[in-house]
Amino acid sequence: MPEGTLCNKQPVDTEEQLKALLADKGGQIYYEEMKHLDVDVEMLRQTLGKSLKSRLRTWLSMCARCGMCADSCFFYRINDRDPKQVPAYKIQSTLGEIVRKNGNVDNAFMHMAMETAWAKCTCCNRCAMYCPHGIDVGVMISYLRGLLYQQGFVPWEMKVGAGMHRVYRAQMDVTPEDFVDTFEWMVEEYEEDYPGLNVPVDKDDADILYTVNAREVKHYPEDLAEAAILFNIAGENWTVPSKGWELTSLAMFAGDWEACRLQVESVYDAMDRLKPKRMVGTECGHAHRATVVEGPYWAGRPDGLPPVESIHYVEWVAEALRTGKLKIDPEKRIKEPVTIQDSCNYIRNHGLRDVTREIMSYIVEPGYFIDMAPNGEHNYCCGGGGGFNGIGLYRPQRNKALITKRDQIMHTGASLVIAPCHNCWDAIRDLEEEYQIGIRWSFLKPLLIDMVVVPEHMKPKE
Amino acid sequence: MFDRILLATSATEACDHAARVAFNMAERYKSYLNIFHVLGLPTRAYSQDVIDVKTRERVTADEEYVAWVKEEIRGYYERLLEKTGDNYGIEVAVGSPHREILRAARNNDPDLVVMGGSTGHMEDSSYKKTTAGSTFQRVAKAAHCPVLVVTRPAASFWGGFSRIVLGTDFSEASDVAFEYALQLARALDCELFLFHAVDVSAMAMGKVMAQDDIEEKLRVARRRMRSRYVPKMPDFESYTMDAWEGLPYVEITKYAREKQADLIIMAHHAKRDASGQAPMGSTMEQVIVRAACPVLSINRSVKK
Repeated sequence: MPEGTLCNKQPVDTEEQLKALLADKGGQIYYEEMKHLDVDVEMLRQTLGKSLKSRLRTWLSMCARCGMCADSCFFYRINDRDPKQVPAYKIQSTLGEIVRKNGNVDNAFMHMAMETAWAKCTCCNRCAMYCPHGIDVGVMISYLRGLLYQQGFVPWEMKVGAGMHRVYRAQMDVTPEDFVDTFEWMVEEYEEDYPGLNVPVDKDDADILYTVNAREVKHYPEDLAEAAILFNIAGENWTVPSKGWELTSLAMFAGDWEACRLQVESVYDAMDRLKPKRMVGTECGHAHRATVVEGPYWAGRPDGLPPVESIHYVEWVAEALRTGKLKIDPEKRIKEPVTIQDSCNYIRNHGLRDVTREIMSYIVEPGYFIDMAPNGEHNYCCGGGGGFNGIGLYRPQRNKALITKRDQIMHTGASLVIAPCHNCWDAIRDLEEEYQIGIRWSFLKPLLIDMVVVPEHMKPKE
Repeated sequence: MFDRILLATSATEACDHAARVAFNMAERYKSYLNIFHVLGLPTRAYSQDVIDVKTRERVTADEEYVAWVKEEIRGYYERLLEKTGDNYGIEVAVGSPHREILRAARNNDPDLVVMGGSTGHMEDSSYKKTTAGSTFQRVAKAAHCPVLVVTRPAASFWGGFSRIVLGTDFSEASDVAFEYALQLARALDCELFLFHAVDVSAMAMGKVMAQDDIEEKLRVARRRMRSRYVPKMPDFESYTMDAWEGLPYVEITKYAREKQADLIIMAHHAKRDASGQAPMGSTMEQVIVRAACPVLSINRSVKK
């Protein structure tokens, strides 16, 4: 059973293994080794026996191959209506086959399944809304990813990402010390402009526990500063945990179920330790799904809920604007054609459509907001969800997948796209780089900073 | 004053003038020169791929590539490096340029950051030539040390500091800039020229001003300079004070030229606009792209 040195069935559990994997430029050796990786049929059978429960078995068997899901899938629409891009086909030809053959599949099959799972589906779950039986192919593809991960057939960056969570409890190599230090750095940088700005670390019994995306710490620490400024302006009693601050989960994209549990438990531990009233997560979609929606099940929580009430950043913003904790200067509202990207993970899959529309009503001058078509829970994926943005091997497919969002944005005529989700933000940045349609894109925080009324005590004296 | 200098460079033509000044300073003041280069932000989520500054190609920023870039930088500055001897280091980082320069400035605690103008990849070249570059704007706003920017070739033919012009608008930030200018003038035995420009443009004043009003404003400015700064330099004599009227950036540039200044020091105002930059067209911005000598930017948080 030839296991590679880098591409194998073992998860990455140490910093050393992680470095060895990262040293393999773009996964060249990794993918070469994958060509010779055997399928452990017995392990696959056992995993199916233990984890493929009645819901998924029922979905697989009741799917009538009616094709109603075809047009719901943006991959199908942009790939010349290729029958192989019909969601039902994608799941039946992969997971369906594995089940029918009771795990007796080979290396070539697993390669095909890997491409299907990571380059033909972003787990946006849109097809589930159009299936007459309510079958959710996105959920099944997520499950398929778990099987593939266990067998070692997972894109290189996904293995790296899951390994990051195992080693650092974060999606990047950011330690708790880095996190606290970066937050303090940002306060140093901005306290001239906002006197009294502070970041309470590990404060007990705060009203809000704030959690972030490691990318903010690593590359966009301004985002941390902006979060701190807005909480301070709103007069919130808030804190950040020195450990358990990472909201995201590349492990979820990778299908590394064990790492999913480890990651989300680190956040729940912070909740148990600091006993905040609520958790507010940053502007990230999949992170919300991982920590708030799916996480409780990974952690085996019987009530299916996180230890404390957990809300998305947009929910906090809407509430702060509604209650007047944040006040918008009407003169500074957005006065250019603007649209919003509805993130699948908290709009379609967690019902927050009206929340983001409410925010628009406060921050956009009437007449300037244009919704995409379709929108809300019917909106299309940005084109880079589910880990697709990050996978070098499937970059050409990803770039093509951006076309749907590009056209949707162009049809609105908007010059500014608000994207309160890291994945969407990245995808929209990339589509502008790739297709140059002349748009700007932004998270909510920097927009709010420029239009919020700063209370007297937080204004610089000069 | 200049034990440690951080030269933030793209190692391309855009930074040649700044590099020349940085190397000259390192030689003259026996400074340790930290040559700092940012490869750019990874082009896709959690990858190591970045766009190479020179070739504009997508590359993987692994150890091998970083080592190669360092060697390229060493090669690019081969002749200038004769000035520093072994007293230099080359550092390469991945990320947003302004953020990584600020991170390096925080970690290495240099006495001065030296930067060039815009790297020149912006499509709109006419725009580029009338502003100083967004990376400079962002670094100058937040750095805890002075930031020296050199954008014009004329500004790089330079042999050391001897005549310093301080442009003041009597703000708190200008006070910090004054303290620094005085300290520098003392340490390096320079002449100090304190200067204020009364903005008489109709745009600033909301009307066309009467000559009596202008002259009154000039008298007030001179009085303010005397009362604000003279008590702070009891044992320092080689200073001059002037107030001229006009368009501030033009007057400062002209004044520096007339006084044959080799350094202009100005305060960077901390206010940002939506893009995180100080307002475009600010006086500092304009002086930077026009002055025939290096311009030193000081913000309120610069350590005294």
